[in-house]
Amino acid sequence: MSVDHKPHPKPAQYVQIALVLGVLTAIEVALYYTEDFVGVFTDPLLIILAVGKFVIVVGWFMHLRFENSLINKFFTGGMILALILFAIVMFERAAANFI
Amino acid sequence: MSDSHSYPHEPTGVETRKLGFWIFLSTEILFFGTLITTFMIFKGRDFPGIKLTDVYDIPFTSVSSFVLLMSSLTMVLAHNALENNDQEKTRVWLLSTAMLGAVFLAGQIYEFTEFYHKGFELSSNIFSSTFYVLTGFHGLHVFIGVVLLLALWGIGQRQKGLSLDGGMNLEFVALYWHFVDIVWIVLFTVVYLI
Repeated sequence: MSVDHKPHPKPAQYVQIALVLGVLTAIEVALYYTEDFVGVFTDPLLIILAVGKFVIVVGWFMHLRFENSLINKFFTGGMILALILFAIVMFERAAANFI
Repeated sequence: MSDSHSYPHEPTGVETRKLGFWIFLSTEILFFGTLITTFMIFKGRDFPGIKLTDVYDIPFTSVSSFVLLMSSLTMVLAHNALENNDQEKTRVWLLSTAMLGAVFLAGQIYEFTEFYHKGFELSSNIFSSTFYVLTGFHGLHVFIGVVLLLALWGIGQRQKGLSLDGGMNLEFVALYWHFVDIVWIVLFTVVYLI
């Protein structure tokens, strides 16, 4: 197993990360209110911002980027399975095969 | 969340408790993934007339989201303080996290009450059912997190200090709390903004 000795962030860096998360949230809300102006790009941008916030919290606050690769694989595996489930159901819904 | 030490006595090279907890979080992803998928299937399938999405209070929910995000900051600061064996700061940040979690929960109760008074009950229509089940299960997770945080804080007070060794310690509670936060990051976008 790989052993990573990258140092964890310091408290001041954690505060900076939290500020970034706060700014991203503010951008999300701004996008919501400017949907008429931003148009079809609104939803993709909102998804990108949410993914960015997700990665920041998992990587830095949960320290996954500093963890053993086995832990990474289990967590990523759960994510991939959930996304596959979501994609299949949404595809079926779009094809109007049920409901 | 401590540095990735090697555990030569463990066949996986990872502390078994920590690996087990991450596997548990992985199953929680599937749990919420299923609920989110169900929500998305029925999103917008209200009865004719006023829709649940029409009564969303986005500014209020945005503030709630910000509060929960900041609770992740206080949580990681508690963990950092404990790694530096600063028991006083650990307790202060733990209590701060629990308080922020309680504020988020109070906001959710207020929101649910408002929706209820506007005619949206659990059984009003299939969309409101999926909304309450999804956000309600998240709220339940936050509640469990607050209880765990207060329990840790109480143990820290009684035993004059916490440790990162043994039992359901601060590291696992922190992982759980951050997980609750990342679920809300997804829900805020999927349920309220899109």
